[in-house]
Amino acid sequence: MRPSLGAAFAAAGCVLVPAALFMVFVYVPTEASQGIVQRIFYFHVPCAWVAFLGFGLSAVAGAFYLFFAQQVWDDIGYAAAEVGMLFCTLVLITGSLWAKPIWGTWWTWDSRLTTTFILWLLYAGYLLLRAMGEENEQVARLAAVVAIVAVLDIPLIVISVRLWRTIHPAVLVTRSGEHGLEDPRMLQTLAVSMLAISALSAWLFWLRLKTLRAKSRLFELRRMLATAQAIGDGAP
Amino acid sequence: MLTGFCALLHKDLTLERRGGRVVIELCVLSLLVLVVLVVAYGPETGGRPESAAGALWVALILSGLPGASLAVAAEHENDCLTGLRLSPLEPATIYAAKVAAVALSMAVSQAATLLLLVLFFNLQFDLNLLRLIPILLLGTLGLCALSTLLGTITSRLRAGEMLLALLTAPLYVPELIAGVKASAAVLSGASLAAVVLPLKILAACDLLFVVCGYLLFEYLAG
Amino acid sequence: MTTALVEALSLSVMFGLRPVLTEVNLKLERGRAAVITGANGAGKSTLVHALCGLIGLSAGQARMFGQDIRRLRADDRRRVGVTLHRSMLYLNLTARENLEFYAKLNACQKPSEQAARWLERLGLGAVAEQRARDLSRGMEQRLALARAMIGEPELVLFDEPFASLDRQGAAVVGELIQELLARGGAALLTSHEPLTVKGAEPENYQLVSGRLLPAAAQPSRRTAWRWMLT
Ligand SMILES: Nc1ncnc2c1ncn2[C@@H]1O[C@H](COP(=O)(O)OP(=O)(O)OP(=O)(O)O)[C@@H](O)[C@H]1O
Ligand SMILES: [Mg+2]
Repeated sequence: MRPSLGAAFAAAGCVLVPAALFMVFVYVPTEASQGIVQRIFYFHVPCAWVAFLGFGLSAVAGAFYLFFAQQVWDDIGYAAAEVGMLFCTLVLITGSLWAKPIWGTWWTWDSRLTTTFILWLLYAGYLLLRAMGEENEQVARLAAVVAIVAVLDIPLIVISVRLWRTIHPAVLVTRSGEHGLEDPRMLQTLAVSMLAISALSAWLFWLRLKTLRAKSRLFELRRMLATAQAIGDGAP
Repeated sequence: MLTGFCALLHKDLTLERRGGRVVIELCVLSLLVLVVLVVAYGPETGGRPESAAGALWVALILSGLPGASLAVAAEHENDCLTGLRLSPLEPATIYAAKVAAVALSMAVSQAATLLLLVLFFNLQFDLNLLRLIPILLLGTLGLCALSTLLGTITSRLRAGEMLLALLTAPLYVPELIAGVKASAAVLSGASLAAVVLPLKILAACDLLFVVCGYLLFEYLAG
Repeated sequence: MTTALVEALSLSVMFGLRPVLTEVNLKLERGRAAVITGANGAGKSTLVHALCGLIGLSAGQARMFGQDIRRLRADDRRRVGVTLHRSMLYLNLTARENLEFYAKLNACQKPSEQAARWLERLGLGAVAEQRARDLSRGMEQRLALARAMIGEPELVLFDEPFASLDRQGAAVVGELIQELLARGGAALLTSHEPLTVKGAEPENYQLVSGRLLPAAAQPSRRTAWRWMLT
């Protein structure tokens, strides 16, 4: 593991996050129909992107772990799921904050909200499994299986939740249609905060992964030590 | 492979016939769920086909989870699963047979649930009910495929039952939604077109869970 | 060159941070028997589990018929018979049904005849229709041995085969192993006391704090009585 990559993520985050804050709060013009609350959208969307990315990475790492049985894939999967969970929670929170003034309610069973919530629930289960299950290979493999099945299940969740919504009577909200990003500065801001949140999450992921790797390595060393002692004891 | 599958299935059915508790337990659970829901809904809402469809699926999922746990736990008793792992069977065959056995037990309890549902929710005994059968079978297969796969490990953990429910429920959401939709459409006598998309979702989920289970079970049984 | 039927190559097993087996080397060829003795908790059962691929190794390799145990083909798994501490029998099936079930799994041609033959062989004829749950401890052990033998294996791994067997039962098992060795099979037995195999010179090993060593002394007459009786 090269520490330079982590440092690069950290440096990028240190530059990009203030830049994104500046652009969101100062640079970008206020959107006409939604007013000031629309600015949260520049955090909301990148968080969602990172959340999905984290879950995807966790599933890929899970598949690799099952196939190659190397501890590093398990650590990657765990770290990715944790970061994904963090940003998924942020998506729900920022979504709620936005929904209150715009839709008049903190929470509605809108199809996208519901999908995100189910996703959150999936990974809550995943992390609880890792926290409550004993730290053994079987639990790690089950977690990998859950991550894989979950990611493959996501398209079906999206389709079914849409089906669920369309037949129910619509909740009385003023759904403002597509977010029209007519001003080019809006797109620029979105791009920068996309990069900022990506760098931030990559750095968090990196830190978490390093911790997990250190833990695995420590365990490995302790095992080697115990083995060496056993061999030493056995020798005349 | 087929002989192994048949032998396993035959063994599970023999065990079930001989004082097995899965079917009985599932029937009792379904009965309880239906009674509770009828009382909770009250006479007005309870009469709607949507309520009946919802009750049916609540009964299905609440009885399916413990059902799969019981079936998997039976294999851990006396280390029988180790015996199967030592045998020439492929893990995938063990998985397929286990899913089939659980699904059969659940299908029996589903039949009982359907009967009670008609009585409790004042539905008509007519051909419409027959249309529910494929929907229920698809839902049952998906639930069994999923909970047997995950239950193999969770049944050995301390908080296994809770974890199994927590992991299975969100994954099962698509089938739950599609199943309730389709059942409600059938019970309210809607046209066949309303059932097509839900059936597709059910089938797609079943395919996903069965294929995943078939391919991934070997990593969990080991 | 003959390939070993079962082989351990610097096999090590750890449970958590505890080394239970360290660098065990073992090789068992056709017609040979090995007896592994060790105190309670020495790791005999763990060794059998590891050789069968039931637990993960922390280092080394376990091989059967020249292949890595994790990649053993189904056809080759049929050639192995194993008994462990637990009998792996379905408690609510009768003795006969259990044997028929495992015969079918091993793709025997005539499962019911095969089951009847093994019930007879191990003296279980009288309890054939009893549920495994109701069998006595020794009867259960006999049934577990029948279960392991029903696929006509070439290689058997028996973890404490004589536990709770009476003299007659021990004699039958002795015969079985003798026949197996005579037709070119191999047997690995564990025990907490030394054994001799009649008609064969077993390789004697001792498990001491996780290491497999050649057994120090020949088994004394007193503890070898079981096998002498046959
Ligand atoms: N699944 C496990 N998890 C943790 N430790 C284990 C596990 N299985 C066995 N052990 C430990 O490994 C050691 C060896 O156990 P094993 O069962 O192999 O001993 P044994 O030689 O077969 O003893 P016995 O003569 O009593 O059968 C014991 O100290 C035991 O506590
Ligand atoms: Mg033992």
